[in-house]
Amino acid sequence: MPKSTRAVLIPILAVAVVGLAVFFFLSDNRESIKKARPGAGPTAEEGTSPADSRPKRTVNLLFLRDESDALIPEAREIVADPSSPAFEAREILGELLKGSQSGLLSTVPPETKLIQVYITKDGTAYVDFSREFADRHPSGSNAEIATIYAVVDSLAYNLKSVKKVCLLVDGEERETLAGHIAINHPILPDFSMIAAD
Amino acid sequence: MAVWACRSRRKSGTACAVLLIAAILAAVPSAPAALRNIVIDPGHGGLDVGAKGKFGSHEKDVTLAVSLKLKTLIEKTMSCRVIMTRDKDFDVSLENRAAVANNNNAQLFISIHANGSVRNKAHGAETFFMNVNASDEETRKLAYLENTSGELDKRIPDEAQDEVKMILWDMAQTAYVRQSQRLAEMIQEEINAALKIENRGIKQAGFKVLQGVACPAVLVEIAFISNAEEERKLNDEYFQNHVAEALHRGLVRYLKLFPQK
Ligand SMILES: [Zn+2]
Repeated sequence: MPKSTRAVLIPILAVAVVGLAVFFFLSDNRESIKKARPGAGPTAEEGTSPADSRPKRTVNLLFLRDESDALIPEAREIVADPSSPAFEAREILGELLKGSQSGLLSTVPPETKLIQVYITKDGTAYVDFSREFADRHPSGSNAEIATIYAVVDSLAYNLKSVKKVCLLVDGEERETLAGHIAINHPILPDFSMIAAD
Repeated sequence: MAVWACRSRRKSGTACAVLLIAAILAAVPSAPAALRNIVIDPGHGGLDVGAKGKFGSHEKDVTLAVSLKLKTLIEKTMSCRVIMTRDKDFDVSLENRAAVANNNNAQLFISIHANGSVRNKAHGAETFFMNVNASDEETRKLAYLENTSGELDKRIPDEAQDEVKMILWDMAQTAYVRQSQRLAEMIQEEINAALKIENRGIKQAGFKVLQGVACPAVLVEIAFISNAEEERKLNDEYFQNHVAEALHRGLVRYLKLFPQK
């Protein structure tokens, strides 16, 4: 093959491959979404500047107290965007990862980063955390249940469009969070985990 | 590419499940009818240490110690065959633990663990049975299976077979949830009576190790290894014996109530 032809063909092939990837990503939101992670979509800037005039809303994030297993809501302001539940989901989880502002216990390992959140039409939120979410988890049934429902319920409690949550770790499906509770299927919220108040 | 990789991974999982099911089907007729098989599953092992205590104990060691004591008690007093998913410190996958039960035509499966919490104060014993957290799609497929069980192979087209069997394997425990709950109640009652630690009751959760087990199955969290006081107890041989005796009494009561599988 002459060099000049190759020079033309390679970019065309590259474009075709990218195009196909995008096509598969868009055409199959159930399977492909688990692996495809398009160039880490920009989330809202951390910490709103004093001049930030974007509309806000109050959400309830779930933490623990040392006394009981019940998840305790803590009110927090996030930037609101009613047209994009995925944006609000990222805001909610970003705040959850920052930990409690009133001395409650966090259920998520502090090193955990949020990579991405998608919400499909059927109401499944795909939440992709960095590997610390599972690898730095202390393990234990009680701790795993608390982590899973703090995340799942924090989303479903504040976002009507979220019906169930699929937890991914660094883009991959894991069998369990840390040796006990299965996270290889979508998890339904369980609001009975939240403290009655 | 990423999409393809994801699909192929799913396929190999399905193939694996089909093999396991084939193994179960092969094992069923050859099992002796009179002798009951009890599978004891000491949680974790090998590189998977489980939850850790503040004084350095590992969940995997405590679970094995109690499991071996329970095995001895059962063999001494009951006409049962005890099968351990592990009897030393090594890794066993969660799927293989369920497969041990199914391949041996087990009548009971008991998984033994020690709890861990981010709350230092968390303490007490609890017994779990599986929470069926099936998605809509899985529920639909299960309903389809129940309606077609007899003629399953004739009515499902070849290409759909693998996936249906995968669901069946994933969800094997769904058929035994009620019996598992009875077993959990009896074990928890005995633990409460024997131990002077807080009764946390019976609970449901999506334990991976229970999902594929095709017989009554429970998971016992003896005490919290993350709690300093209970970590000390968990390492105490007297406490371990006490727990094993309570578990044993729970199993005996259950087997009297349900002599057959
Ligand atoms: Zn465990």
